[in-house]
Amino acid sequence: MTDESGGWRRLDARMLLIHPLETLIRLLPALIAIVIARAGSDGNDRWELVALPVILAYGALRWLTTRYRIGEGQIELRRGVFTKQTTTARLDRVRTVELTAKVHHRLLGLAKVEISTGGGGKDRLVLDSLRLDAGRRLRAELLHRIDPAVTGLPAPSGAPVAVDDVPHDVSPPADEELLVQLDPAWVRYAPLTVTGLASAAAIVGFASQGLSRFSDEGDLFRDGASRVAGLSWWLDVVLVLALVSLLAVGAYVLTFWGFRLTRNRLGTLHTRRGLLTSRETSIDAARVRGIRLDEPLGLRLAGARRLKVVTTGLAHEQGGGSDWLCPPAPDAVVTPLALRIRADEAAVTGDVVSHGPAALRRRLTRAVVPGGLLASAVAVAQAGWDWPPALLALVPLLLVGAVALGRDRYRGLGHAVTPDHLVTRHGSLDRRRVVLDRTGIIGWKVEQSFFQRRAGLATLVATTAAGAQHYDVVDVPVEQAYAVLAEVSPELYDQFH
Amino acid sequence: MCGTVGSVEPETEPVLREPAHRVSRRAVLMWSLEALVGVVVLLCGQVAWWFLDDGSRTAHWVVAGVWLVLSAGYVVGMPRWRYRVHRWESTARAIYTQSGWLWQERRIAPLSRVQTVDLERGPVAQLLGLASVTVTTASAAGPVTVHGLDLPVARELVDALTAAAVAEKDDAT
Repeated sequence: MTDESGGWRRLDARMLLIHPLETLIRLLPALIAIVIARAGSDGNDRWELVALPVILAYGALRWLTTRYRIGEGQIELRRGVFTKQTTTARLDRVRTVELTAKVHHRLLGLAKVEISTGGGGKDRLVLDSLRLDAGRRLRAELLHRIDPAVTGLPAPSGAPVAVDDVPHDVSPPADEELLVQLDPAWVRYAPLTVTGLASAAAIVGFASQGLSRFSDEGDLFRDGASRVAGLSWWLDVVLVLALVSLLAVGAYVLTFWGFRLTRNRLGTLHTRRGLLTSRETSIDAARVRGIRLDEPLGLRLAGARRLKVVTTGLAHEQGGGSDWLCPPAPDAVVTPLALRIRADEAAVTGDVVSHGPAALRRRLTRAVVPGGLLASAVAVAQAGWDWPPALLALVPLLLVGAVALGRDRYRGLGHAVTPDHLVTRHGSLDRRRVVLDRTGIIGWKVEQSFFQRRAGLATLVATTAAGAQHYDVVDVPVEQAYAVLAEVSPELYDQFH
Repeated sequence: MCGTVGSVEPETEPVLREPAHRVSRRAVLMWSLEALVGVVVLLCGQVAWWFLDDGSRTAHWVVAGVWLVLSAGYVVGMPRWRYRVHRWESTARAIYTQSGWLWQERRIAPLSRVQTVDLERGPVAQLLGLASVTVTTASAAGPVTVHGLDLPVARELVDALTAAAVAEKDDAT
């Protein structure tokens, strides 16, 4: 512990319990294999008795060798039992800080701190784990330091912070405003999103795999299966729908339970959520480049939307949805919330410029051609292989569906330029409206495929360091694309005009 | 049409002119050689099929005929088409490129946002004294590449861009 004097801090000592536990869990398959392999033989060497202390010692070593310190404008993390590794990050590059606590962390009052400094997952420092209040304190220290109002004050870095002296009450400071809090009634939107359905499908897949292992034994499953098979088809559909909805609701509750979004005096956005694994994400306001309003078909029909943040420092589409500012919720909640994050009414709720007849034709061809191909394939299959004639009913259905999809995709298509933002909207099943700060745009692409050139259309791509890294204005008439470019980046346009 | 939102329409049709410079004429040769390598790989597949399959030879000739015509068109046509499209220009404030053939695109990156400048030379490019210059910004989606530059031109461009990137002290995001 002598190196505490160099400003070095350690992880919480309770990690001595968690590290061996995690190592054990990771080695569990190997251990089970060993036990099974030995069950047949009569040897009684008890060498798991040797393994256990080794695992414990390794956990202790991991704790002993992991240290971090903050000073001289940077945070340093040293770790590694066999290979020493030092990671350094400049404090003024810290973009987001995330606190995650799985169930076993929560039992011990710990949280894993992930500090992100770059655009992707590679630029992150992980402190696994600190005590929850120490983690929150560190977060405050990191995020406030990059604010000039706070950096102007005497640096609080001098003496190392004695982590154990941190006061225990961690009630949110009074200068935090609550922007949104989960209303349990919103759970009804869970089955309406693709994310909800996908997580339901994942659970079904996992469960069916598990079940198939037991299905050879016991007549219980065979009985159940034959009973389900005996039901009429519409009952099957209802059963599947009910099951999928239930699972989607389950996934929603696990992920978003207790969701709340707050903003502090410095503008830092802060979300907290999760039923079993709790997750806290703090996003520095200076890193936010815009917002994204998702309105997939299901939510749109139900009058709901969800809100995400476009920011640097969060890996795009990172698992767990750290970039969510609001889970699926009614319009009446999401729209005012969006306006509080980006106070630009024209950008958040205003009309968008639609892209004209050529874009409509292109949307229709792109929907009808695959739909038509599928329909003719069905017709051919019916004629050639004696498939049930009822399938022919699918042909008009597919064509009508394709036209409706094409038309709806056109309705969703559009862009707008406001004094501060570039707005782009597209999609039908997964419609989204992105409000991107004009200052966040760091380059442009004008893309034209062969067919787009013939139709006089282009896809205008605004590149950015945040979120998806690029946001596209799709199938816009080429002169409109240049008009947008000229308006948003006149200094670039003038040079090549 | 919904109402235009705050969008001030310029009086003249807004057009972005083409970038000023063409790439090196030898780039045509480079792209042809690179295309030829792909064709040779296909040829190997055809030869292997010839020896492995002892059935009717008609199918072999038909397939060989089709891809020969297609690849001849590709090797001869693609490089010339690309040469007509590829252009670049670098000013004190921005780099601007035009590239592609079937899919074409124009890219603009302000030099204030440049993070790295790379000079790359593939085997064929080395043979022909060519190089390509890639400029990356903080966006993973926005690298700007100029292919097929004469080596001295490429070096000059790299120097100019590096100087501009160093001058910028900001975070560039």
